[in-house]
Amino acid sequence: MGGRDGRPLVAAANDRAMEAGVEAGMTRRSAEALCPSALVLERDPAAETTRFEPILDAIEDLIPRVEVVEPGWVFAPADGAVRYYGGERALVDRMAATLERLAPGAHLGVANGPFAAYWAARSGRPTLIVKDEKAFLSGLDISALETEELVATFRWLGVTTLGELAALPRHAVASRFGTRGLEAHRLAGGEDRRVLPRRTPDDLTVETVLEEPLLLIEQVGFMARRLAGSLMALLDRHRVAPYQVEVEAEAADGVVRSRVWRSAEPFDTRALAERVWWQLRAWTETGGITDGLIRLKLSPTALSDEGYQPGLFEQREIRIETERALERTRTILGPDSVLRARPQGGRDPAERVQWARWGEDFAEPTRSLASPWPGRVPAPSPSLVPSRPRRLEVEWDAEVPTRVRLSTRWEPVLAWAGPWRRLGEWWAEEKPSALYQIVTSAGAMLCRTTDGRTFVVGVYD
Amino acid sequence: MSASILTAAPDGSPAPADATGLPVYPGRVIGLEGSTGSGLTRIGLSMLSAIPASCRVAVDVRGWLCPLAAWEVGIDPDHLTVVRCGDASQWPRVLAVLLDGVKAIYAEVPRGVGEALLRRLGAKARARNATVILRPLAGRVPSGMAFLRLRSVRVEWEGGREGHGSLGRRTLMVELSGKGAAGRYQVVEVEDDGARPVRVVSRLVTSQVGRSVG
Repeated sequence: MGGRDGRPLVAAANDRAMEAGVEAGMTRRSAEALCPSALVLERDPAAETTRFEPILDAIEDLIPRVEVVEPGWVFAPADGAVRYYGGERALVDRMAATLERLAPGAHLGVANGPFAAYWAARSGRPTLIVKDEKAFLSGLDISALETEELVATFRWLGVTTLGELAALPRHAVASRFGTRGLEAHRLAGGEDRRVLPRRTPDDLTVETVLEEPLLLIEQVGFMARRLAGSLMALLDRHRVAPYQVEVEAEAADGVVRSRVWRSAEPFDTRALAERVWWQLRAWTETGGITDGLIRLKLSPTALSDEGYQPGLFEQREIRIETERALERTRTILGPDSVLRARPQGGRDPAERVQWARWGEDFAEPTRSLASPWPGRVPAPSPSLVPSRPRRLEVEWDAEVPTRVRLSTRWEPVLAWAGPWRRLGEWWAEEKPSALYQIVTSAGAMLCRTTDGRTFVVGVYD
Repeated sequence: MSASILTAAPDGSPAPADATGLPVYPGRVIGLEGSTGSGLTRIGLSMLSAIPASCRVAVDVRGWLCPLAAWEVGIDPDHLTVVRCGDASQWPRVLAVLLDGVKAIYAEVPRGVGEALLRRLGAKARARNATVILRPLAGRVPSGMAFLRLRSVRVEWEGGREGHGSLGRRTLMVELSGKGAAGRYQVVEVEDDGARPVRVVSRLVTSQVGRSVG
């Protein structure tokens, strides 16, 4: 018995219960109504991992370096194995024969990406090899996205299949549904999650080597949690989060075992610690590690480009709530009012910010950050930049500002710096200008003088 | 800032360690009061950067907010969303919607937003455990609503001298009041070097004797 949204649901049932009509996904109440004598057990992922371990070993005999999502669900990168065994059909036949022996009723799906492979395995056929991924996905019901609220909205709009969703313009979907819509559109079009690793230091692994082997399962569990926490803290400092993590363990007798775990969403600390613990327990209980554990190493093998790392107190639900709140804000104010920004090259503060609507991609930057930009005003930058330069009356004494008019009063200039002179784009008839920093008793401003007139272009608030 | 002038959180947990030295707690409203140019935007953004959240939102009423300052005080560009809301009649609704899903908000308050509405939004922030930093463009945050109230008293710039150099370090005198300042008026010196979050560098003698819980 597992659960979703706090409701207890049937995760699995034995043959007798299934004969009585019990199915996975059914509520506990419905299952008990159909089979009153059924014994209800709580789901134990660690025990499931232990039972799944021999199946993983058998799969790894055919295809090395499988990626486990959860007990009972595994992805295997098959490119090399297909060549080795002489074709997809030969590989699938071998795999099916192996699974039939260990896990009768298992389903296999072969496709280019994990999303299509997942739905190929769930197609109801024992094995399905997808040749044309786009065509296969386009025929799937929109519920394949498995995000209830989004699916309900798509249905309400008349979009009932992934093909219909993929046919919509991407920018329109992004504008209306934000990042979740964009992700759904990518999946529907056969583009799985884009993992674009950021530039990070090469060695982002954590490892513990013990002088005395750990024999007690509780000690192993404690070490798994501690090391998972260390890895997430390390990755958090680099603003990345892992989609895949390799767990490597060494037994006292020198045997080294490793397994890759994968997640559709970046792991958080708790999820990673659970998986490491399940894996270690499975190895310990199935004889994969004997004589105690002497070394444990965790290595992220795929990192997100989002820089998103949920904190200790954050859950995935918070992220969904955040996106929902921003989507509703955009609905109220319009798409041009909810914005993201990133740095770009330039001299003026306004030039150095590239804006994009929230949920949409940034345009290609036109001003390189790497260029020197001579004449740029040094930090600190003004925290307020008027959308249009505001006229300011300034009294000058031989290019030295002496007084400025603020509202109805004249304020003496207490300090000033500059000018940072610009020739301007004379070929575009732009006139020369100069930037000044002017400090009065009311605060500091960044001002531009051009053609004898002065404008406020920034306020140091 | 020494810990002595800051109260612990209502649940007794210690003040969170952050670079600014100003107390920032979940579910609390912070009020920034002072005229434009008094350095409060940068203080507000520094406090926003100290809130542990994956998404921070800045509500920009005038359309003037420059993210360069936010990045300079340590907010990751990927973690900042700017909401431009120039319509004062929509502002309460927008803030209420944001409070449903965002845990770290810096919001300029336009003229004309009533005290009762602000109090209701403060209650919602507490209920949603969101930290809201309010910067009224006119007037004050209603009495008793803000856990911590900051009022800029004086600003001094270094670096600009008769055309030489450029503006660099800024020192602000800020008056703290409210429960977050142990219910007393405190005057602190805050340093802004332009490259890091602003931070409290010293606590000055309390200029006013008395209690303030507002």
